[in-house]
Amino acid sequence: MNDRMLEFRLHGRGGQGIVVAAAIFAEAVFLGGSYARAFSLFGAERRGAPVTAFIRVSSDRLMPRSRIYQPDYVVVCDPTLTGVDLAAGLKDEGTLLINARKPLEERFSWLDQLNPGVKIYALDATDIAWKHDLAIGSFPMVNTVMLGAMARLSGLADRKYLEESIRKRVSSKIEANLAASGEGYELVKEVDRLAVRS
Amino acid sequence: MMAFEVINGSQAAAIAVQRAGIDLVAAYPITPQTVIVETLADFAAKGELGGEFVSLESEYSALSFCNGASAAGARVFTATASHGLAYMHEMIHWCSGARFPIVMANVNRAIGAPWCLDPDQGDSLSQRDTGWLQIYCSGAQEVFDTILQAFALSEELLLPCMVVFDGFYISHTYEAVDIPEIQDVGKFIGPPSFGAQVIPGEPGNLHGMASAENQQRLVRSRHEAMLRAPALYEEINGRYERLFGRKYGAIDAVMPPGARTAILTAGATAETVRWCLPDLEQTGLIQLRMFRPFPAKQLCAVLETYDIEKVLVVDRNCSIGAGGIFAQELKSALYGLARPPAVHDLILAGGVDLTGALIKNALSKMPLENRSTELWGVE
Repeated sequence: MNDRMLEFRLHGRGGQGIVVAAAIFAEAVFLGGSYARAFSLFGAERRGAPVTAFIRVSSDRLMPRSRIYQPDYVVVCDPTLTGVDLAAGLKDEGTLLINARKPLEERFSWLDQLNPGVKIYALDATDIAWKHDLAIGSFPMVNTVMLGAMARLSGLADRKYLEESIRKRVSSKIEANLAASGEGYELVKEVDRLAVRS
Repeated sequence: MMAFEVINGSQAAAIAVQRAGIDLVAAYPITPQTVIVETLADFAAKGELGGEFVSLESEYSALSFCNGASAAGARVFTATASHGLAYMHEMIHWCSGARFPIVMANVNRAIGAPWCLDPDQGDSLSQRDTGWLQIYCSGAQEVFDTILQAFALSEELLLPCMVVFDGFYISHTYEAVDIPEIQDVGKFIGPPSFGAQVIPGEPGNLHGMASAENQQRLVRSRHEAMLRAPALYEEINGRYERLFGRKYGAIDAVMPPGARTAILTAGATAETVRWCLPDLEQTGLIQLRMFRPFPAKQLCAVLETYDIEKVLVVDRNCSIGAGGIFAQELKSALYGLARPPAVHDLILAGGVDLTGALIKNALSKMPLENRSTELWGVE
C-alpha cells in the first residue's frame, strides 16, 4: 500500500459546490504533477441536504477505489451541519479545516474531544463569500474560498493550477471566485487549541 | 497526440462515444448514468457529436430506437443503469437475436425494492443470458478504452456489447484520463461497415417467424460467434496498444512470485485489490473483464500455471438461492480440472464498499480444509 497517499473528506450541503470543489482540487493537484481523484457520496441529492465529497492524492496513479474512512484532512464547509459526525475517523495527527466565525461558537464544543495531535484551522468563508457576492439566493457559495484554504494548508495544490481549474470549472463570477479563493488562502488561521472558545 | 483530462467515468464513456464516430445515440437518463447522457447531449447541442442525439420517453423506447438505427447500418450507442436496464429487457433479447452490434454502457446500481443507489452488479448480471457481450471496467481510463474497443468487437461479431462499470466509484469519480485525438481514434476504428439490414427502396420483412430448428441454428451461430470474442478481443487490443500504448485482456492477472491465493473480481473492486496486493501474502489478482463470453479457458490456464490453492471471489452481487454470480461461474469453469482450487466467496451484495481491511479479513477466514465458504461484507 502507498504510505504517501493523502485523503480528504469534505462536508457541506447540496448546492454549495462541494463536489465541484473536490474536482477542482483534484485537477489542480494533477496539473502540479501528482495524481488525484475526487468523488462524492451518493444520495438523493437536493439543495441543503448534507453532502460528503472525497479527494485522494498520491504520487502513484494506482489508488484504492473505496470510500475514505480515515482522512488526513477533514474540511467542514458549512458550520451549521448537524447530525453528521464531522471528525469521524480523522487521523490522530490529521488536520481539520472549518468554516467558522471567530471566536468559535458553542456548536463547536466537539473540538475539545479531538486528539491533541489534530491541527485545527478556521476561516470565516461565509463572510468572504458574501463579500464577493458569491451566493445563490440566500445560499452563500463557499467552495472556492475553502479551496484556497485547502491549498494553503496542504501545500498539495499550486495557486496557479487552482486558478486554472477554477477558470475551467466555475461557470459564473469567475473573477470574484478567484479573489475569494485568494482570500481563503491568505486568511486561514490555526486555532489555538487551549483557547478554542475564548 | 493524447492529452490527460481530469474527468469522471461517465464523461470518459461519453467522450469515447463521441470519438468513436457515432451515428446515433438514443437514451433516457437515470441515476447514476445521467452524466453520460448529459455529456452526449452537450456534444450534440454544440454540434460536436458527429451523429444524431435522440431523447426518448423511456429506456424501452431508447433501445427500440437504437435497434431500428442499427438495422439501417448505423453505429449506435445507448446507456442506462439499474431499473432502466431492467425496463429494456425485452429489447435487449431482440437486439442480440437480430444481430445488431449496439454498444451500451451500464452503470451498476442496485435494483429495488427498496431504492438503493449503490453499485450492486445485479442489474447487468441479470442480463447475462440475453446474448450480449459483457465487459466490466475498473476505472475511468478503462471505460474510455473499452468503449472504443467494444465497437470494434461488436461490429466484427455482429453481437451487441455491454460495457459495465460501478456507479459512484467510477461514474462519479474524477481522475486523470488519457484521451486520444479524434483523428487518431479514426485509425483504430473506421466508419461502420457491417452493412444494413434495412435498405431504403427495398421493402422486406425482418426477423419473421422461425421454426424451432431454424431458431436453434440462429442461437447456435450466436453462441459460436460469441465464443470467438476472447481471441478477437486480444487481437483488437494488440492494435489498440500499438496506437495508444494500453491493452487489456478477457482477464487481467497479476500474480506475484509464489502466489498461492488469487482474488477474482470484476469492476471497481479489482483496482482496490490491485492496490492492496503489496500488503497481502502470496496473493494475486485475477481481474475478470469479460463476463460474456465467460473466459473459462483463460481462467483455468492462470490457475493451473500458478498452481493456485485458493480463490477468493469478490462478488458485488448475489443470485439469491445460488450465491455470488462470479463464484458460481468460476466453479462451473473449474469442472474437469485435475486439482481445482478452493473457491470462497465474499458477497458484497447491495454494493457494499470493498476496503483493504475487508479483503484481509476475508482472506483470514479461508482455512485450507474448507473447499468453499460464503462470506458477507456486513455481519
